[in-house]
Order: sequence, then C-alpha cells, then structure tokens
Amino acid sequence: MSTPAVELRGITKRFPGVLANDAVDLTVEPGSVHALLGENGAGKTTLMNVLYGLYRPDGGTVVVEGEERSFESPRDAIDAGVGMIHQHFMLVDPMSVAENITLGYEPRRFGGLLVDRDRAHREVRELGERYGFDVDPDAAIEDVSVGVQQRVEILKALYRGAEVLILDEPTAVLTPQEVEDLFAVFEELTAQGKTILFITHKLGEAMEAADTITALRDGQNVGTVPADETTREELAELMVGREVLLDVERPETDAGDVVLDVSDLTVTDARSVVAVDDVSFSIRAGEIFGIAGVDGNGQSELVEAITGLEPPDSGRIVLADHDVTDRSRRGRIDAGMSYIPSDRQAQGLVMDFDLVANGLLGSQHAEPFASGGRIDWPRTRGHAESVIDEYSVRPGNPDASAESLSGGNQQKFVVGRELSRDPTLLVAAQPTRGVDVGSIEFIHERLLSMRGRGVSILLVSSKLEEVQALSDRLAVIYEGDFVETVDPDHVSEEELGLLMAGERPDGGLEAATTDQRPSAEPAPRGDEA
Amino acid sequence: MSARDRARRALDRLVEASATERALISLASLVLAIAVGTVLILVAGRMTTCEQAAFVLTHPRPFGLPQVFAMGFCYDPVAVFDRLFLGALGDPLRAGWDPLNSQFAVTLRETTVLVFTGLSVALAFRAGIFNIGTQGQLVVGALATAMAVLWAAPLVSGVLGTLLLVPLGILVGALFGGFYGAIPGALKAYADANEVITTIMLNFVATGVVLYLVSGILKDPESAANQTVPLPDYAQFPPVLFGEQFGFSLLALAFGLVAIVAVYFLLEQTTFGYDLRTSGHQPAAAAYGGVDAERTIVASMTLSGALGGIGGAIYVLMILGNFQTGVPAYGFDGITVAILAGNNPLGVGFAAFLFGVLKSGTTAVQFATDVPPQLVGVLRGLIILFVAMPEFFRLIGRYLQPPERNRAVATDGGHGSADGREGSP
Repeated sequence: MSTPAVELRGITKRFPGVLANDAVDLTVEPGSVHALLGENGAGKTTLMNVLYGLYRPDGGTVVVEGEERSFESPRDAIDAGVGMIHQHFMLVDPMSVAENITLGYEPRRFGGLLVDRDRAHREVRELGERYGFDVDPDAAIEDVSVGVQQRVEILKALYRGAEVLILDEPTAVLTPQEVEDLFAVFEELTAQGKTILFITHKLGEAMEAADTITALRDGQNVGTVPADETTREELAELMVGREVLLDVERPETDAGDVVLDVSDLTVTDARSVVAVDDVSFSIRAGEIFGIAGVDGNGQSELVEAITGLEPPDSGRIVLADHDVTDRSRRGRIDAGMSYIPSDRQAQGLVMDFDLVANGLLGSQHAEPFASGGRIDWPRTRGHAESVIDEYSVRPGNPDASAESLSGGNQQKFVVGRELSRDPTLLVAAQPTRGVDVGSIEFIHERLLSMRGRGVSILLVSSKLEEVQALSDRLAVIYEGDFVETVDPDHVSEEELGLLMAGERPDGGLEAATTDQRPSAEPAPRGDEA
Repeated sequence: MSARDRARRALDRLVEASATERALISLASLVLAIAVGTVLILVAGRMTTCEQAAFVLTHPRPFGLPQVFAMGFCYDPVAVFDRLFLGALGDPLRAGWDPLNSQFAVTLRETTVLVFTGLSVALAFRAGIFNIGTQGQLVVGALATAMAVLWAAPLVSGVLGTLLLVPLGILVGALFGGFYGAIPGALKAYADANEVITTIMLNFVATGVVLYLVSGILKDPESAANQTVPLPDYAQFPPVLFGEQFGFSLLALAFGLVAIVAVYFLLEQTTFGYDLRTSGHQPAAAAYGGVDAERTIVASMTLSGALGGIGGAIYVLMILGNFQTGVPAYGFDGITVAILAGNNPLGVGFAAFLFGVLKSGTTAVQFATDVPPQLVGVLRGLIILFVAMPEFFRLIGRYLQPPERNRAVATDGGHGSADGREGSP
C-alpha cells in the first residue's frame, strides 16, 4: 500500500460553543478523487481549513505524504504541496489570467526588481497545455466565465506546486455543463498523479466524480466508502443519519384565482443595461411558477422589481387585485408578500444580530410583533424559538448571532421566518442554495404544503432538478427575457439546458410548450397537456 | 505567521471580546496610560529646574544603611494623578468629605453636557452615520435657546417662570439642533452627500453665522465680549443642593440620565430603533426588511441633532446664563465619548463621567502643583487615547473582517454571495 497523500489523525477543532470537528480521521490515497460529503454544519470546510493551515486544530495531527506537519498558515501548506480553491475565488478581477496565477510567486529578473512577465506568460501557457486547460493567459479575469475563473484558481494552486488540491464546494457556482467539464479536469489531474479532495453536499456529484467518499456528520467521520460500491440512498442515510426521500412528490391541486400578475415588466440595472426585457406572466393561488436559467440572466432584477427593492422602468405588478407597482417594499410586505432572498448574508439576515432580532426582520412594523411603535420582544423571542425548532436550525440557540451559524442553517432560518408569515405570495430565490439533502427535502415539503394551502409561489432557482420537480409551470429566462414557458413534466433536462443557453430548439418542444402569455389565458396544467 | 496575520488575529480577538473583557481592557488601558504618563512626568521633571524636588526617587534604608542613590524630580507623579482623579471628586478619601464641593460640581457639570453630545454622536453612529456635526448642532441649539428664553422671559417670572422657561429653552434647543442635523441627513439621504464632509462644513457655518449675529444685532450693548444679554435667574436651571456659583444643577444631570435611558429604550425597544440599528449594520438587509432608508437617515440625524441641541440648551441654561461665542468643543468631545462608550447609550454615562473627571481634574492639578497645563493636557490626551483605542480598533476590526472569519463556524461557508453580491463591506 502506497503512502497516503494526506492523512488526518484525530483532528479536533472547537469554536466557541461548537465542536466543529470531533477526532476526525481521514486517509486520502494519492492519485485519487476523494469527496467529503456532509450536511451544512457537518464540519467539512473546517476540516479542510485545518488541512490548509487556516485553522490550527485543538487536537490531532496532519500528515502529508508520510510526514507529520504543523501548518502555521496557508503559506506553509502551499510549501508542503497542499493547495486550496475556495468557494469564493480569490482573484484580482482587472488583472490577467497569467498575472493572477503567478501572483505572489512571480518569476523575477534583475535580482528581483522586476517581474519577468514573459516567463510568467510562458510558464502559465505551458502549465495550461500540460493539463489540457483551455485558458488564455492574457485574458482579464473579469472577462472570463466563472468556470474559467475556477480553472485559473486550479492552475494557481498547481503553479505553486500543489500535489493535493482541496476544492470547497466547487460546483456551487457552475452550470451543469461546466460541472461536467470540471469533472473531466479532475480525471486529467489524477491521471497525472495529483490528488483531489473536494467538499460537496450533493450526492450525485460525489457519486459521479469521486473514487472514495467520506461522509461527515456533526463533526465526525461516519464512514468512508468506495464510490462504485454505494448508492445514493445509502449515502443520504449516512449523511443525514436517517432515511431520506430523494424524490419530490407533487400532489395534484386546483389552481385558484390569479394572485400575481406581472405585465410588460422592464428593468434596467445599475449599469443602465436592460436586465429584464418586457416580461409578462401570472401566478394563480396554489401554483408554483418556476424560473430556470443560468445565474445573471435577469432573475435577480426581476425578483427585486417584484419584491419592491428596485423600481421597474415600466410595466405593472398586480398582487391580489391591487396594483402594487408603486408600493414600497414595506407596502408589499404588508400586502402579504414573503421573500426568500438569494443572498441571505447580505439581505436575508443582519449578520451581527442574534436570531431573535433576525426573526423580526420584515415584521417589525406591524402586529403581532410590534404595536404602537414598540417591539414585543418576548413574543419575538418565542417566534424565533419556534422557527428554530420547526426548521431544526443548529445550534438551537436564539441568542446566537446569525453570523455564527453555518450557511445552511442561516438559510433554514430565513426560509422558516418567511414561510411562517402566512403569505399570499412567496417569492423564493434559490431557496435551497447551500442546504443539505435532509433540509432540502424538508424545505421542498414546506413549499408544496404552502402550495396546497393556496399560496402562490414564484420559484427562481439555478438548480434544474429543483425547479423542474416543484414547478407547475416553468419559464426559462435568458438575457432578461423568457425564452419559453414549458410544462416541467414534459421537458427533458437537455431541452432545458438548450433553452437556458438561449437556443430555442426547432420543433420537438411543441408538446411541452404552454401558452407564452399565461396571463391572457390560463395555462393548462402539466397533466392535461 | 506574518505580521499582517498577527495583526488581523489581534483585531478579531478584540471584535469578539465580551462585555466583561471589554471593561477589563478599558481598566488595563487606564493603568497603562497612568504608567506611561508617570514616565512622562518624571522625564519632564528632570528637564526642568526647581529649587526643591517635589519627588525623590531613592531606595529603602533599613537598619540605617547609608543612602547611595537618590534622584530628585520637579514634578511628583503621585500628586499629579492624585489631583487628577481624586481632586476632581473633591477628595473623597479625606475625612469630612462633602459631596457638594466645588470640584465635584465642575465634574458633574461637564459630565451633564457631555452626556448629551455623547448620546448625539452615538445615536447617529448606531444608524451607520458619522455625525461630526454635533458641535454645530450644539451651537445652533444654544443660541436658539438663549434667544427664545430672552424673548419669553418678560412674560412670566418666579417659580412659574422656571417651570415654563427651562422646558421651553430645551425644546427650542432640540428643535433647532434637530433641524440643523436634519440638513446633512437630508443631503445624505436624497443627494448621496457624504455626511462627514457636510457636517464638518456645517460646523464652520454654525460658528461663523453665530459669531456674526452675536457680535452684531444680538450683542449685549453693555458688554465688551461677544455675548447676549444675561438671562434672568428664574429662566435658568435652579441649582439643587449644590451652590449657585458652580453652574451645575442636579436637575439637569437627572435629565441627562433620563435621556440616556430614553435613547437606550428607543434603540432597543422600539420599531424605529430596530430600523435604525438594522440600517446601521446592514443597509441591504434593512431595505429587504421594509425599512425606508432615506427616512431613517433623516430621522436619525434629526434626533442626533436634537440631542446636540439639548446639550447647547443645557450649556446656556445651566452654565452660562446667556450665550457667548467661543463655545467649548463639547461636540467634538462627544465623538470620543461615544467611541469610548462603544456607542452604547448606557456606556455614554460612564464615558462622559470619565471626561468630566479629567476636565475638572485638570484645574485641580494646576491648583495644587507646578506642573504646566500643557503637560496636564498631554496626560489627559494620553488617558483618553489609551482608553479609546481598544474600542476604536474594534470598530476597525469589524470593518475589515476577512471573509474567513465569517466562516469561523459556518463550516459550509456562505453560498449566499456565490453570485458575488456581498452587500456589506
């Protein structure tokens, strides 16, 4: 048996009030792809940050290529051949690919006085060719796609001599096609002897890309299995600790009256670019209207215009027979609009506030939490406690600051708060982003039960399987316009993929395509089409 | 670990410090400031000449050992700090201490005005607004109070006069100060003008216009100084327990304490306070939560200005008894008081008291020792600097929080900003 590329022995890491890693053992074989699977808050990123020298463990040892190491900082880890690609890229936007890759490790000339640009350029090109990466060393980072930026990050780690590459949720920001490309890159890298460790909470990805999968739960290693000897169900159970229903059952309901009617909506963004171009649609009571598309095609502008955060340039928004186009955000909250924002850390939560105060956000102006301008804190606390309880937000301490929660638990809290408002319209933007399977199942169930109670739901998600499974009707947005509104039950993922790329397939989709102007005539439900 | 990482870790540590830790840090800073100050006093004492040493550094001489070393200093650090702190309270450790002494009155007098300016700055800070203009708001409020009370004084007199004129003066001070705060507030909210610049500029405007008025049409014709006619006694804060000559009224101090509690209540218990704090922490989240950003900015600046204006009213009705140009920098001291207090209204009371002690102690030191006033000023600055620095670095540390820190426990990181729209700085 060869020397493991990385061996973690009994790693323990504590944060105030939280045991993030509890004596975790992990062995990674050289030249393999190893997936670290776990729910939000299971301790995956903490463990990897320990390996990368960002955190010092409270106990345990890190062994890299047979040698015991104690990393003071990422610099030490890099010197030992461990590189990490963070979820948020650490790139300088206006600088070129080559400059970013060599940053901090530039080849120099004249005794270190000047950066040897030519050599940097040449080395980067050679590196790219060696691993079969198609990147232009001269392109500015801001001009290339997210997928390419990620590859630049990988090249940066390789340039610094990384033998072990850690990737934190590498697929979170990628389109399905880019995910495929990334996994091909994994194969190429391992073929050349590199070792890959990647963090994910998506079962399918772990199964597809990894050779070995280690599941973490509550900071503990709960099992390491070869990817080809396991099933999705087994993994889900390992990860969550109980059996999980992976498929969404969307029961039949009868859609009621039109609740939200959007007509001819046009929105320009901060750079005066038309982000939403003359969009019309309507949603009935008890209906989920999904919007699929690659991030950045006008979804966020559309959502902000509907929720009252950005004024539209033209068009009309009618909520339950009231024209709310000119109403403030507060006016729309009062009219029964709940909103799960895609950016929970900037919008959905005040990071420095505790959960009690965060549970009040959006409800602070009205009964039952405030009367006569005074806040009823005991009631607010009770509310936060019930959301924490019902949505199993961990740690279950209402006095914990939002900042101290993991991303998935933050999301659960926001979702719980917004659903508990008893809305007539729910706008859900990426409601399960960064949330683990167990919680996804739960959030999906809640969305469907809201639908069953007659709530209209506008669901925006970049997860295809999510919008497809939950929506009654599904619009595909591309460059600010709906390419097509389809019946999600009669469209394939490939067809959706093409639509998301702005291509309208000739024929073939006819059967699945519903009326493009549903406000003019209610669209037939999926099963009737 | 690089120096940068170390500095960052130290900042993080400060940001995470608990309330008790922060109190201990402040206390340690005070001790450290006194230690550094002692060295300064000794050095200064060697560099000057005097007939007799005020302080002699020597070793103990048990069993009649001969003295081999002794060094004299012109200034005695023990005496200086004794006067600075205990002197300001009128020697509480001495037998027969009377709490109603003149030094203590001066301490509380300064404390009272600083409570209002400190609250003014702290309130704006909590809304995420840096109000440097408390000084201007105080000046405008002070003059308006003096004019209103002078105008109304002939209509009433006696106890009834006090009961009507003092509240009237405070109300007018609050109104004018509030209006003067609302201007930069509106400029920020509706024209995106940086409040730091506008409030600084408006300070100059206030001082200049007031000087013009008080040296001209509002001037007391019988006085050589730029001041208004004196207010009648019944139009001023009545001294309670303390002698009239000290310019201090327990009523005003009590009013200050009420203001502290009121601001605390406003911030913590009301919807408006919630909106204000949310805007201060995270404007994007406030907008999401249905907070009208523009209105909140104008309202918080108006309130902040009103508190500054009340400070001005107290200055006129309690200390001066008329309006004079050359108003002390209460407004600017208010900024330090607010930082010292961590922008917590309850902390403002303590911070204002520390400031009051230092201000009043300065005169006590000058009275009792030969230490030059400049050196006392340096010591005072040193103490404030040392005590304020940890809070100041906390503010900076919050501002600079690296992305990793956000994930200290959030082990799966924030996917929220995966689309690169992290709203907070």
